[in-house]
Amino acid sequence: MKAKKSIAASLALGLAAVAAPAQTQLFSDLVGPGSVGSVKAGGALQVPFIIWGGDMATFYANGGLKTKSGTIFQKQGLNLNLTPGDDFIQQVRDYRAGKSPFLRGTFRMMGQASEVIGSDPRTKGVVILQMTWSAGDHMIAREGIKRVTDLKGKTVAVQQGGPHIGMLDDVLKAAQLGWDDITVKFFGALTGPDSPVEAFRNDSSISACFAVTPDMFGLCTDLNSVGTGAEGTVKGAHVLVSTAELSRSIADVYVCRKDFYDANRPLVRKFVAGYLKASEELVDKRAAHDAGTRDQSYINLLNQTVQIYTEEVIPNADEAHGLLLDCTFAGYPGNVSFFEKQGNLHGFEAFQKASLELATSRGYAKQKMGLFASGLNYKSDEFLKYLNKTEMVQGERFRAEAVLSEIEELSSGGLLDDRTILSFTINFEPNQTEFSAVQYAAEFIRVIEMADKFGNAVVAIRGHADPTKTLIDLIKAGNAKGTLMRSGTRGNYRYSLNGRALDLNDTSRLLDAIDAGDFDGVEDYNPRRTMQAALNLSRKRAEAVKKSVVDYAKGEGLGLDLSQMQPQGVGIAEPFIAKPSSVAEAGQNMRVEFRLIRVSAEVTQESDFDF
Amino acid sequence: MKQNFNRLSAWLGAVLATTWAMPFGQAQVQVTDNVVVVVDASGSMGAPMGDSTRMSVAKDALKQVLEQIPDTTHVGILVFPRGNWVYPLGPRKESMLAGAIDSIQSGGATPLGDYIKRGADALLKARRKQFGYGTYRLLVVTDGEATDRGKVEAFTPDIISRGITIDCIGVEMASRHTLATKVHSYRNANDPESLRQAISEVFAEVASGDAGPGGENAFELIADLPEATASAMLKSLSTSGNQPIGEGPVMRAADPPSPSPAPSYSGGTTSSQSTSGEEDNTLVFLCAALCVLVVPGLVIYAIVKGKNK
Repeated sequence: MKAKKSIAASLALGLAAVAAPAQTQLFSDLVGPGSVGSVKAGGALQVPFIIWGGDMATFYANGGLKTKSGTIFQKQGLNLNLTPGDDFIQQVRDYRAGKSPFLRGTFRMMGQASEVIGSDPRTKGVVILQMTWSAGDHMIAREGIKRVTDLKGKTVAVQQGGPHIGMLDDVLKAAQLGWDDITVKFFGALTGPDSPVEAFRNDSSISACFAVTPDMFGLCTDLNSVGTGAEGTVKGAHVLVSTAELSRSIADVYVCRKDFYDANRPLVRKFVAGYLKASEELVDKRAAHDAGTRDQSYINLLNQTVQIYTEEVIPNADEAHGLLLDCTFAGYPGNVSFFEKQGNLHGFEAFQKASLELATSRGYAKQKMGLFASGLNYKSDEFLKYLNKTEMVQGERFRAEAVLSEIEELSSGGLLDDRTILSFTINFEPNQTEFSAVQYAAEFIRVIEMADKFGNAVVAIRGHADPTKTLIDLIKAGNAKGTLMRSGTRGNYRYSLNGRALDLNDTSRLLDAIDAGDFDGVEDYNPRRTMQAALNLSRKRAEAVKKSVVDYAKGEGLGLDLSQMQPQGVGIAEPFIAKPSSVAEAGQNMRVEFRLIRVSAEVTQESDFDF
Repeated sequence: MKQNFNRLSAWLGAVLATTWAMPFGQAQVQVTDNVVVVVDASGSMGAPMGDSTRMSVAKDALKQVLEQIPDTTHVGILVFPRGNWVYPLGPRKESMLAGAIDSIQSGGATPLGDYIKRGADALLKARRKQFGYGTYRLLVVTDGEATDRGKVEAFTPDIISRGITIDCIGVEMASRHTLATKVHSYRNANDPESLRQAISEVFAEVASGDAGPGGENAFELIADLPEATASAMLKSLSTSGNQPIGEGPVMRAADPPSPSPAPSYSGGTTSSQSTSGEEDNTLVFLCAALCVLVVPGLVIYAIVKGKNK
């Protein structure tokens, strides 16, 4: 634990300079004035790296900070000099001055810089590579904040200008909240003394904060635990959202200067192909390491990582391995999907749109100046003959039965609410004769987008049925058996149960009667069978809705993983109105509820890349 | 308004009927209708009956009833005291089914109670596998003479309380027999008319045609029921457990063990008048509290283990 905290401490040093803890500033003001220089020809090319598992693939390909002989990059004919780039603003200055043709950051950090780099044709940004998705960034909330929608009106602490701004934007969108619905407190550092994490510890008016994995451990113990207040944890602190499930939120990328890219396309392509080669080798070596195999080249990489980041940051090889485990590589299939797949909700176009909107709406930029996609030919031999893991079929990411088991277990254990990130309901209107996808287009799009962003959460589609018929059958069964009788006149009925006067408020007497079989054994009125039929109906309802969502996504050309959507029948167990008094009220029970649920890693299929 | 309501139900019925048997391509839990037939082939079933024997009348009756069950229904045939599962619960194959019925030989004792328990347990096992979805019926073919009458008396209501529908085909059975009076339907093997009666479709939700005894609308029939009472009764009907017949509920958070016969609601409705009732409730609450504390811990432990893998 201590070791992990030191990663955080050093990350703080790197990122502290990103922004003042004040409110949002124009990115151009942060970078300051400076003239555009051209990238120097000859010698080693300067390439920035930051503290992240994805950058370990760069070390691996390069054999260290300077390109070593026999490495992937050397064989590609590259000569690189890797330089620390955790100060993103300094990176942008170096990029503008021509010291390096590359920028290294998250896609949305590129969005923040988009206006500064886009205002000169030479420095316009070309996104050349998606390295990874993050699985190691977390939003921590205090007790009482269970769903992301509970954030409305609350104060949230976040690092200014860092990777979590985009994540917060995604969380707010999922909750259908705007930035104005919350109070945002900005901090200069990602971690350490001037960080959201420290503020969260010391200021109870802050309801939620963002943290990297080591700090998350420090606040809550782990991903699914609640802080007890002991051992430095904060009492009641828990992970509200994590990129462990919000898995398509933080995309780490490389951007290249337009003038350099146009003049040196083959070189850039070799860099990209080399990186992808390194990542496909690393996913295998990482898995083998987890399985207990000790591969010397992998051990060397871990040790080298400790050396590069220093022991202050990554104390030992195990921590380096942990850093690598916090990221999911995109690989070749991920990059093809990111840049080329139509309707990819987590692809280049979607990220560009969201990034520029965020940059302008949050005041980092005055106007939207776009980034370019590389337009690399992924079908060329330089990729297909060079790489091994080029299969574009991802397959289903969830094991259906395991998902269903886990959800049923959570339901019966009363834990479903705790694990629900977000939920909303659509009703089957009483006067509705058709289940129209057009009518529910907005809800369907929301579900599809939500499923896409939260790639490792399950969308439970929970069907509900109206209980009126079950209750009526119960009463009729009682009448038929002579156990439950009614006398008197309309509006003034009196009831008796097994010959004794019954107060209908006497729930326990009625429940005892149900258990004793006083309503059983009548062929025409069998409330248990009606309940079972309602359970089955509710599941079919959920399946019908799933089918509609799937068809809708297909029709719109939007990607959707079928295994992520889990229909479930709740039957009459959770009615909106337990005793409806009209067709309209009964109709309110005929509903389907979407719930975004955090599930354990065990229900997902192992795969090399996510895309 | 009411008309629309009916159209909705009809539409839903039509749409949903098609999706029932058609999961969407990927691995889905298979949900089926299930019937287990328990056939009494004890010595008494060999007794002459008209020109024939009780046994052969029973076989004919059984074949007739099975004809009316849809092809997609899973069927199992359990014969006692000899033969056991002549057709294990599963998809139906017509040729093998007829052969299985023909193979039944009568002779021996009559442990009727034990065997209706075994049949019901098989259904509960199937129900657990299907996550509670599907339908579950037990069809008992017998002359009712049992050597374990006490078990028949005890198990029948337990089976019914689990939500399993029991139908009985009686062969010269006493009219006041438990299996004639306590079950959902009783048919006489000798009455061809009653055997031909198809299993009627079960509607889950109310339609405007459902009138009360006085001809009032369906909602008026439950109008006097307090919301809290209705809610508790629905919860009680929805939780029946898949543990073997004759055994108490398995310890789970939503289903704490409790002194019999225990209400399975979680309080907050109305207080019981008797003091013993209140004590019951305290115990239920204590158990519930214990479960609430222990179960999440276990689940979280499992999850953490999973994540750290």
